[in-house]
Amino acid sequence: MTLAADIAGILLNGLQTGAIYILVAIGLSIILGTLRFVNFAHGALYLIGAYAGLLITLEIDLSNGLLREWGFQTIGLGWGFLPALILVPLFVFVVGLGMERFVARPFYDRPDTDQILVTFGLAIIVQELFRVLFGGQSIDFARPAWASGPVMLPVVGNFPVWRLYVIGITAVLVALVWLLVEYTDFGLIVRAGTQDPEMVELLGIKLTRPYIVMFGIGAALAGVAGVVGAPLENVNPNIGTGVLVPAFLVVVIGGVGSIRGAVVGGILIGMVFSILVGAPLPQVTVAGTEIVWSSWAQVGIYALAAVVLLTRPEGLFGEEVTG
Amino acid sequence: MSDEVGSPTDETTGAGVSLVERYEAFTDGIGEEVVVIVVATLAVAVFPWLFAEAPVVSDVLDGYRGLATLMLIWAIFAIGFDLLLGYTGLLSFGHAAFWGGAAYAAGIFSAEVTGEPLLVVLAGTTFAVLFAWVLGFLSLRRGGIYFSILTLAFAQMLFYMASSPLAFLTNGENGFTSVEITPLLGVLDLGTEAPFHMLLGEWLYVFVAVFTVGAIWFAYRILNSPYGTVFRAIRENEQRAEFVGLNVWRYKLMSFVLSGAFAGVAGSLFTIHGNYVPLESLYWTESGEIVIMTVLGGVGSLFGPIFGAGVYLYVENIVSGMEALTIPFTEIVLISNFGVYWHILLGLVFVVVVVGFPRGIWGMIEDLTGFVVLAVTDREAAKARVRTKLSGARDRTVETFSRGGKR
Repeated sequence: MTLAADIAGILLNGLQTGAIYILVAIGLSIILGTLRFVNFAHGALYLIGAYAGLLITLEIDLSNGLLREWGFQTIGLGWGFLPALILVPLFVFVVGLGMERFVARPFYDRPDTDQILVTFGLAIIVQELFRVLFGGQSIDFARPAWASGPVMLPVVGNFPVWRLYVIGITAVLVALVWLLVEYTDFGLIVRAGTQDPEMVELLGIKLTRPYIVMFGIGAALAGVAGVVGAPLENVNPNIGTGVLVPAFLVVVIGGVGSIRGAVVGGILIGMVFSILVGAPLPQVTVAGTEIVWSSWAQVGIYALAAVVLLTRPEGLFGEEVTG
Repeated sequence: MSDEVGSPTDETTGAGVSLVERYEAFTDGIGEEVVVIVVATLAVAVFPWLFAEAPVVSDVLDGYRGLATLMLIWAIFAIGFDLLLGYTGLLSFGHAAFWGGAAYAAGIFSAEVTGEPLLVVLAGTTFAVLFAWVLGFLSLRRGGIYFSILTLAFAQMLFYMASSPLAFLTNGENGFTSVEITPLLGVLDLGTEAPFHMLLGEWLYVFVAVFTVGAIWFAYRILNSPYGTVFRAIRENEQRAEFVGLNVWRYKLMSFVLSGAFAGVAGSLFTIHGNYVPLESLYWTESGEIVIMTVLGGVGSLFGPIFGAGVYLYVENIVSGMEALTIPFTEIVLISNFGVYWHILLGLVFVVVVVGFPRGIWGMIEDLTGFVVLAVTDREAAKARVRTKLSGARDRTVETFSRGGKR
């Protein structure tokens, strides 16, 4: 192990940690930025994605699932993951549409605090529903066989393939969302709606549909994050809330509604985390006890958020201080 | 209350006097503050007996004394939380930091310095106040949702600090176990039976009850002072309050610190009650619980949150243990294995309250009893009340629209 390998490994790890947060945070951020709706149940969408992905994978998997019954035995192991990657976002997209229509829309004109309260209540219901249905224990979400081992990278050395896939999938999705928002009529309408909804409606464009679709896209991203992120840890009913708080930090650091901000915020948080966990930091002794840097990793990301907030309350890429 | 108490200020005479007017006349005579304190004291005094040992009631309720104490402790927490959410309109998701932080401070103080209960409470509360000052100073830089997120984030920071970097102080994931509570003022062991122990049980309950009544009185005092009026002004319209010349930032911070102090008292009492501080007392679900209690009970009223705390703990500790939900007095089973669903049930009720009943269960009861009393005693006044209520609701709607909504 050389120093360069260490550094490269830490950076890659940071990128991967950040990637999941980015996927969750972008949905949170665009819903907050365009619809002005605070979704404390966004973590629940991640949870739904993770469980749905797990179920689909188990159901279709080659070893003992549907594919085997249908007679496929030679196309390789663990292909149940791909259908999950396609079906889950569609499913969570529909869930998101329902959520916009029946939860968010009645609350657009009510105070922020009411929005937080109702989505918080919803998050509890979803989480407990999963606990009752699947039990509270952690279930292992195996990585697909074609991506479970390590790969030899030029500088880094051995690196888990799945983590590379996570980074790759995130990069593609973020690019797609960015193109959608920046270069399509749909994106234009949504952005205009953020600036001045009345003017957009006066131009004869109804905002209802773009808004509901935007909510669905945000939800679908959280769902994908669930499928992609769950194989990195175990699946249990608490992972939704576990990912929600860091995602909010990403939004706060990056600035609300900014895709660029979410990406930068996510990477920053991932890096701080991974550096504190893995970097060969100098040994510091305070009052006779040596500081164990890795135990400060969780604290570090909150400290980062605090620093950003004290210097730039609107976030790194936020445009204005609202509310 | 009997007719003799009817007061000299009562100008209308004879059959037309409604119960409400009589009550108002009565409270005018001796001051509402005294009434509140006396009623609170009586209620707190009979509560454990009623809850755990009264013939019919407690059989139905299935309560036990330890839970009564815990309910009062959370009630203090909820009163303080409502001071912030219900009166100033700030939704904090970080109150676990003050509750759990005070619990740890109290525990560590009892182990390192002295176990004198009063000093332990003082130590815990002091920590909560100082920490609330810092956290409020940081979080109040942004309003609305950002405030909620920031309080949540900084409270989580304390949780993670307690869980590993500061584990040498807090004993990490195992929770702080070496709490040492000594007898009160050196003589009175809180674990021994109090006089009237049929009613009051152990001295610990009395100790907690005194703080509860004190908290109610203190909150009442704040809310009925000009200071409390400013809180409400900020909740209604922050900008206008600012234009009137009030230093909104300072009042918001003070409201935050005050509510942190209540949480601190409650957290310290929690340590004394349990002789143990679990790490979960700092976790953000604890903040969520206090939010649910307060909103469920009813924000913006003095007794709503207390009621909410009681309901929540009751469901958490007793309903969750129920085997099956039956139709009362029959054997017909509605839902088997009912206890498992208690969290979902609570979540559903919570959502319903948020959507439809902003004043919570307490508000519902208030409306209902007020309406029934009026309908029985004075039909014309009842109709008038309903009319003003409806027009009030209409005015609020008009106001919402004229503000241009949120978007």
